[in-house]
Amino acid sequence: MYGWVGYILRVNLTDGTIKKEALDPVEAKNYIGARGLGTRLWIKECDPLIDPLSPENNLIFMTGPLTGTLATNAGRYNVICKAPLTGAMAASNSGGYWGPELKYAGYDGIIFEGKAEKPVYLWIKDDQVELRSAEHIWGKDVNETTDTLKEETDFDARVACIGPAGENLVKFACIINDYTRAAGRSGVGAVMGSKNLKAVVVRGTGAVKVADPDNFYAALSKARKMVAEHPVTGQGLPAYGTEILINILDQSGGLPVNNFRDSGTFPNADATSGETLAKTYLVRNKGCMGCSIGCGRIVNVPDGPYKGFGEGPEYEAGWSFGADCGVDDLAAIIKANNYCNELGMDPITLGSTIACAFELFEIGAITEKETGFPLGFGNAAAMVELSRQAAYREGFGNEIAEGSYRLASKYGHPELSMTCKKQEMAAYDPRVLQGMGLNYATNNRGGCHVRGYMTSPEILGIPEKLDNLATEGKAGWTKTFQDLTAAVDSSGICLFLTFAIGAPELSEQMTAATGIDFTVEELLKAGERIWNMERLFNITNGFTKKDDTLPPRMLKEPVKVGPAKGNVNRLEEMLPEYYKLRGWDEEGRPTPEKLKELGLQ
Amino acid sequence: MKVKFFALLRDITGVKETTNFSGTTLVELLEQIANHYGKEMSNWLFTPTGPDEEKKLGKDVIILVNGRAIEHLAGLATPLKEDDEVAIFPRLAGG
Repeated sequence: MYGWVGYILRVNLTDGTIKKEALDPVEAKNYIGARGLGTRLWIKECDPLIDPLSPENNLIFMTGPLTGTLATNAGRYNVICKAPLTGAMAASNSGGYWGPELKYAGYDGIIFEGKAEKPVYLWIKDDQVELRSAEHIWGKDVNETTDTLKEETDFDARVACIGPAGENLVKFACIINDYTRAAGRSGVGAVMGSKNLKAVVVRGTGAVKVADPDNFYAALSKARKMVAEHPVTGQGLPAYGTEILINILDQSGGLPVNNFRDSGTFPNADATSGETLAKTYLVRNKGCMGCSIGCGRIVNVPDGPYKGFGEGPEYEAGWSFGADCGVDDLAAIIKANNYCNELGMDPITLGSTIACAFELFEIGAITEKETGFPLGFGNAAAMVELSRQAAYREGFGNEIAEGSYRLASKYGHPELSMTCKKQEMAAYDPRVLQGMGLNYATNNRGGCHVRGYMTSPEILGIPEKLDNLATEGKAGWTKTFQDLTAAVDSSGICLFLTFAIGAPELSEQMTAATGIDFTVEELLKAGERIWNMERLFNITNGFTKKDDTLPPRMLKEPVKVGPAKGNVNRLEEMLPEYYKLRGWDEEGRPTPEKLKELGLQ
Repeated sequence: MKVKFFALLRDITGVKETTNFSGTTLVELLEQIANHYGKEMSNWLFTPTGPDEEKKLGKDVIILVNGRAIEHLAGLATPLKEDDEVAIFPRLAGG
């Protein structure tokens, strides 16, 4: 095969067996790789109704056909399993160097089955694959684990591991590779922890073959030029990182504030912005494998209670620990974000859950009796301490570790959880970005921004400017963004490229790399197939139309201040059209005709 | 009126915001800003046109008047009042 290496590893953690299996080329063509192909492999082999933390929940690491090639920014892989946070399908996407290294070792992916009796890690060096004891690193954080495993295997090896949060089955634990890159959402790290699998260490000395080197080089050269010359990917992201979004979302009224209670404007937003980060704590920027953008931020807080080096924050973490918690202390935000990197947690769910706890405290639903210390919006020290406690399930951190839906429900206020399908929404208020609201409500993994990034047309004007407060036309745009993103996620390239290049440039690179004619239409069709496959999984798990919704605050409580004052999300104006455009019935179920068209019957 | 600058534009202006400019329409305001800060700012704010042609907005600039993108107002012809707030960004993204 070209693009794909053609093999996957199957590792049974219960009995310790390891097999090398051929990749099915038909499945690879239909589901591409990474998110799509990994989900397909999971669904073919697992009972959808299993407990996500049971040994029967296969944990799949899967790359895409472009991963590890010279294609633009092709460093991505996905981790697929049933999600402990949501009960929906998790496919969490990470960058760095780990995914390419797996392909250089000769594998497109790894399927982990069962559960090890004691902590183990997998060591892959090309054809030599072995399970080793991880008892000596169980309990260690990501940095210590990565350092130790590189020392005892190969300094050039790449490490994907869990921190204490994954070991402690925190519902939103991540898998972290290359120290700071995360398969972040839905709790894939908890599934890894439930299997007693601490890390996957890879060193590969092979290469990825492409079908048509001349056309591949021409296609990637064209795409790289577009990425370099675009103001977003060539200037803005390298200079300021994703945190650059703080000010424009705030100025537009779309930055959620204080658990979305006080949205409209965050008075000191600029103190937490990408501009301020660049002038204060930024050391330099950093990219993933083959990346010309370098949106990563290496930072150093030189003194004070939050002193130390780290990486980030991204925009979402800058918001979740910042405006959403009412905190404008950038050093505190960096500290909480560093805990996420070092201990292995998703900062969106963590920050939003802390914000929920702050509101529960302010209305008296929880008190110091439960929390041990005062909580409340603007309390940076409490935000930082709860971040640490959550990873260890220490004190009130044990409640935070369950995510905001379970926390708010336990204390009688489920309406204060800012979640869709039990996963926390990201840093865009759906009352102000109507299309993003539709995306959150319909997203197969719950409150997720990246799988249908309507911020791009609604706020940033890419590829064209839509009115963020209007609902007209948003159903079609949302569907297209969701389907294209499913294809991009499955290909192995970084989603950020789509600010500069489009489906035609992806099509050219995919076709030349694989030797298969992946037209724009084929790519979008594959994306739609993947979206519908995920939807069918959710339906089997009991998700219905009633789950395609937003927190009641988004539908009933108008924005209080700012340029979007008075708005709620008007989901009911968009959802029926969305179902219709998707070829689903009025209850949101794919019709037999649509399934036949997609080859999913 | 208050004019706010963001991201790379702050490197040109050296300030985050100013009340030194005014205009009855957006294009008047932007012309003042372009004249004051020079060619680099002008290149962000306007698409190059001939001397007798109508001004065209730069393709990589985002402008909000009181938090609303000018595409949903009257573009460069958007009328301005003294208590309006104008925010100017280079094209940016993230997420």
